[in-house]
Amino acid sequence: MIVAGIDLGSATGKAVVMKDGDVIGTHIEPSTAHPLKMANRVIEAALAEAGVPSVDHIENTVSTGYGRLDIPFANENVSEIACHAKGAHWMVPSVRTVIDIGGQDCKVISVSPKGGVLEFVMNDRCAAGTGRFFEGISRGLGCGLDGISALENQGEKPCVISNQCSVFAESEVVTLVNEGTDFRNIIAGVNLSVAKRLKGMARRVGVIEDVVLTGGCSKNDGLVKAIGESLEVEVKRLPRDPQLAGALGAALLARERLDAKL
Amino acid sequence: MDPTASSEAFATMAEAASTLVNPALQRWRDDGGRVIGFLCSMVPEELFMAAGLLPFRMRATGSTGTDLADAYFTNLNCSFPRHCLNLALEGEFEFLDGVVGINSCDHIRRLYDNWKRNVDTGFLHFISLPRQSGPDQIQWYTQECRMLRDALAESFAVEIKDDDVRAAIRLANQGRGLQRALYALRKQERPPINGEQALVIMVAGTAMPKEEYNALLSRLLTELDGVQGEGDYRARLMITGGILDDPAWVRAVESVGGLVVTDGTCFGARLMWQDIDEEAEDPLEALARYYLADRPSCPRLLDTQEKRTQFTVKMCRDFNCDGVLGEKMMFCDQWDVENYMLDMDLADEGIPFLRIDREYLTSATGQLKTRVQAFIESMGK
Repeated sequence: MIVAGIDLGSATGKAVVMKDGDVIGTHIEPSTAHPLKMANRVIEAALAEAGVPSVDHIENTVSTGYGRLDIPFANENVSEIACHAKGAHWMVPSVRTVIDIGGQDCKVISVSPKGGVLEFVMNDRCAAGTGRFFEGISRGLGCGLDGISALENQGEKPCVISNQCSVFAESEVVTLVNEGTDFRNIIAGVNLSVAKRLKGMARRVGVIEDVVLTGGCSKNDGLVKAIGESLEVEVKRLPRDPQLAGALGAALLARERLDAKL
Repeated sequence: MDPTASSEAFATMAEAASTLVNPALQRWRDDGGRVIGFLCSMVPEELFMAAGLLPFRMRATGSTGTDLADAYFTNLNCSFPRHCLNLALEGEFEFLDGVVGINSCDHIRRLYDNWKRNVDTGFLHFISLPRQSGPDQIQWYTQECRMLRDALAESFAVEIKDDDVRAAIRLANQGRGLQRALYALRKQERPPINGEQALVIMVAGTAMPKEEYNALLSRLLTELDGVQGEGDYRARLMITGGILDDPAWVRAVESVGGLVVTDGTCFGARLMWQDIDEEAEDPLEALARYYLADRPSCPRLLDTQEKRTQFTVKMCRDFNCDGVLGEKMMFCDQWDVENYMLDMDLADEGIPFLRIDREYLTSATGQLKTRVQAFIESMGK
């Protein structure tokens, strides 16, 4: 039984193809202004990796992410919140809290023992504390996203980044740079500011271990460390690419729906 | 088949809800009638009716930005007054012969201040709204009603007798009764109208002569009698919160499987869930009692939170709601803290609750749809 999940996010498009409960193909690429073309490209690339000739061989497809509503080859769409919970739970069945930090939103999701959504909070409109935020900051520091992520760059004395607006925080960083502040302390401060914001959100749903991070920003090692310290929990590492959690969850739901019909 | 699709009455209301100057309002003006805008649902519009004026509840329908108004407000001000002032500065409110302001919140109060300085409107009046709703405050608000009545009488050279106020109350109550009958249809398993259409009908009622509106609504109710809707929804929802006059916002909510069946908003049920006493000896005191104490209140009034929760819970039960959406404008501190408390209260009642911050303009709806869809999914729907 071949099923697929496709996650058209604000920053990247992702696809996962599964056969009989195993992942056989995946693909990630940056989002473009043509969501339909991108949807076709990511699914075809994932199918090529899986050795499946065409979309006609997929028995069920679930779409998720911002572009989920209008994908012609998807049989159903499900919110990314439910998909991230499902995907993370499949990878780490003991998970009870998922923190998803994507390109333009972050969510804290309380997960049931079966992988369903119990409760969630999501940031309001602005992109503070998300991928867009880190892109801006890395511009201000001229260090790239890898520079912000690297553990050796997490200074001992994190600077205070008071502004949560991505644009203003970038100016704050520029000021610190021009004051000659050790850039490692700026980086640690940036990651800590995002972790603190997530702490406030997490408080609203309550943090129960195990905690995992999903979404593109969970590849930021410095942020993972800061979140663990801020929430005073051990953040579990996912055994697969955390950026694929949404598409994986969508593929798992595609299989569940098919099983339910049979 | 959408039963409103072929309804002339609904089409007339839809036009009124999607514009500022609708044909009925234009006819009123062409016949020499005058129009008064008012800034909050706590202004007793019956006094305008008693004075022979057409009450127009302020909204910024059609606004596309706040570039002019931003010179007079800060980024921390609610976007509703900013859009209203912007339209005023663009000349879109020239059809108003007067504006009545009120201190229902600081943002609305400052809208009045900025209006007074920057917009040329004939009649301007400000009502001081008490913070509490006990007997002393009802006397205070009765006095405010009297002052508004006298100011209207003087400026528009009309006599406003108690019987005129009573007649206005009766006419407004008649509209409220029709609106409640409309809401009663939404209790059905397959309501003939959705939440977007219901909001269209409610908003239209704030922008045209009441006689005309009541006749249209009576006709629509006859057309909807015995009709059932598609019933293809995943969850029945109630909306609570502040100013929501944009049917497009409800459309986004309903596009991901929600069906809005009732509300506790000030363009919705809070306008009409109670009637005003028609028999009171002093009709002005009846108005004050209604607006301050009797009608479902806004968090603006102190010591009313428990009552509001009771109202929300009862609405949910009566309309068989699966969950509640608590919408509020960004920077509305009154609804913000209210929603924290409501969240906890509804959890005790086992009613799922989703808080949503919004801007006045419904632009990008991606996040809204994601949240509402995830909310519905989390209910197992």
